[in-house]
Amino acid sequence: MKNMRVRRLIAVWTAKIVSTVCRLSGRQGVTLAGRIALKIDPRILADLSSMVREKIFVVCGTNGKTTTNNLLCSAIESEGKKLVCNHTGSNMLAGVAAAFVLAAGNNGKLDADYACIEIDEASTLRIFPHFKPDYMVLTNLFRDQLDRYGEIDITMDILDRAMKMAPEMTVIVNGDDALAAYLAMKSGNPYRTYGISEQVFKEQGGHEIREGRFCKNCGARLEYEFYHYSQIGKYRCPKCDFARPEIDFDASHIDMSKGLSFEVEGRRIEADYRGFYNIYNILAAYSAVRTAGLPLDKFADVLRTFNPQNGRMEQFVISGTHIVLNLAKNPAGFNQNISAVMEDEKPKDIIIVINDNAQDGTDISWLWDVDFDRFAQEDIRSITVSGIRCQDMRLRMKYVDISSEMIADVKSAIEARIRDGCGNLYVLVNYTALFSTRNILLGLQKGGKP
Amino acid sequence: MKITIGHLYPDLLNLYGDRGNIQCMKKRCEWRGIEAEVREFQLTDPIDFANLDIVLLGGGSDREQMLVCERLKTIQKDFRGYVEDNGVVIAVCGGYQLLGHYYDTDNGRIEGLSLVDLYTEQGSPRLISNIVIENELFDYPIVGFENHGGRTYIGDNQPLGKVKFGYGNNGTDGMEGVLYKNIVGTYLHGPLLPKNPHVCDYLIGSALKRKYGKAELAPLDDSQELEANRYIVERFC
Ligand SMILES: [Zn+2]
Repeated sequence: MKNMRVRRLIAVWTAKIVSTVCRLSGRQGVTLAGRIALKIDPRILADLSSMVREKIFVVCGTNGKTTTNNLLCSAIESEGKKLVCNHTGSNMLAGVAAAFVLAAGNNGKLDADYACIEIDEASTLRIFPHFKPDYMVLTNLFRDQLDRYGEIDITMDILDRAMKMAPEMTVIVNGDDALAAYLAMKSGNPYRTYGISEQVFKEQGGHEIREGRFCKNCGARLEYEFYHYSQIGKYRCPKCDFARPEIDFDASHIDMSKGLSFEVEGRRIEADYRGFYNIYNILAAYSAVRTAGLPLDKFADVLRTFNPQNGRMEQFVISGTHIVLNLAKNPAGFNQNISAVMEDEKPKDIIIVINDNAQDGTDISWLWDVDFDRFAQEDIRSITVSGIRCQDMRLRMKYVDISSEMIADVKSAIEARIRDGCGNLYVLVNYTALFSTRNILLGLQKGGKP
Repeated sequence: MKITIGHLYPDLLNLYGDRGNIQCMKKRCEWRGIEAEVREFQLTDPIDFANLDIVLLGGGSDREQMLVCERLKTIQKDFRGYVEDNGVVIAVCGGYQLLGHYYDTDNGRIEGLSLVDLYTEQGSPRLISNIVIENELFDYPIVGFENHGGRTYIGDNQPLGKVKFGYGNNGTDGMEGVLYKNIVGTYLHGPLLPKNPHVCDYLIGSALKRKYGKAELAPLDDSQELEANRYIVERFC
């Protein structure tokens, strides 16, 4: 017994030292710290998570995990609660362990009311043996990073098994996504739904790639009353009884003329940032907190002060150029990003940074499933392609008859557009490009002139 | 001049940027003043092969392939007639597997079209890699990305190329893809055609030759395409 406590203490201290050293040397040491802590004390995640006094939330789903989880954290903090979370987006076993370990005190104990943890879908089966969450937020399921998971069917199978491992966990699911909703509905777990029941977009993008157009229950082609984007919308199966579930948290009176605005449970919700998909992120966090029974009276304040970070529509100003950095790692996410960029009607320059490191999914075929032709607009002043696979990105633009300039080095690309651009710059990056690009932008912002 | 491209079951067989292959064929025709029409066929649509010049059969998950293979039985005869009449086919990944006699998976057998004498068996692990292959038919290597559980055996058929880097048909015999009449079957996506303009023009050229008896493809400026191709070759070989 005493031995185990000592082991935990050593694990916590070592992880903290590793994390600090890495941070000082400018690296992200979170994953490494978690891995070392688990090696020293394999029970550390189970032990520390059991010290959470109230509830543990996990956030899963292809897109929107980080923003949803960060919103969830802010919302719970606004209730005056203490919490543990993995803000950095390190969402596999080691990263999750690190979140708990680094939050623990030097006495090896955790002082937290709640935990809000985003989890990579494929890692759920490795994490749930350590703790069973009380709630899972399931945002959506899109095609993502193919070569890591194989296929979307495999991801669904993993989540299905994860839900069965924690049968008492309540799933808070996006009811507008037929794939996510199907999983929750057939899991046997209790579930609550959120969604948007009114049609928002008159135009229904005809050739946009849509996952899961077919009923997972019987294989028939689903019928849609309307789409919001991708396969997200109001659907039903014509052959069997599978249909969009009743929506518990229904956003209505959607208004995107100035930021984002909608109503849920009779409350007006307003946020000062762009991107239709952010309505879902806000709604997901809101529904999760409400499902947990918290009153959430200060949600308006939460949204007013919430600044999406970590390259989710993150803003910079460098030498008078206004820069927005946004992560896009799959077709659904990228198409939504393009929509968000186009909501800004001012002239703009665009830099697209594409890497193909292991965490990106080394396969970049998905670039061809993104509707880049939408960039063929007057107000797009220039497109610059950068990153490891800038050649592929340049070809992608060529085959929609849009010319682009190739500058492989990301810093040079950004500096060039700050120098000669129109002062309004969007930098769209995929996963591993995010960290380095963000550091470049932070560096340039701090250092003044490029 | 005009060619008609039939895209079979894009709702189900649409993994890995198949849209890029369609877009590439279409643009490379248009840039030369050749009209290119793309017709998408859904699962229940009748297919008039007589009016098609190129057929694209893409990849899908095993489950989706199972759905498609039921339907393929009903068009097998017409499809075979088209192939034997030198109709051009580009089949990628799952579509490539469907060209053969069968694909044996852990969840049962997926019957193929038997258009080419080949078969596929599921193996482990999945073969996932960038890939470079070579064939004397082409002036440049063919590059792409592969991600398949199936191991395909093509018997005495011609491969699309010899593997220089990556796994190929089955990871053992050093062959990738298949060439049979005017069929190109391959595991390469990425997608296949944009970085391999020589393969794209081979398909377009074959289709024009079949339809008009001659194929004079005006040269295009392929410097960006070939630069992207060379990048993969130099990085991995
Ligand atoms: Zn059904």
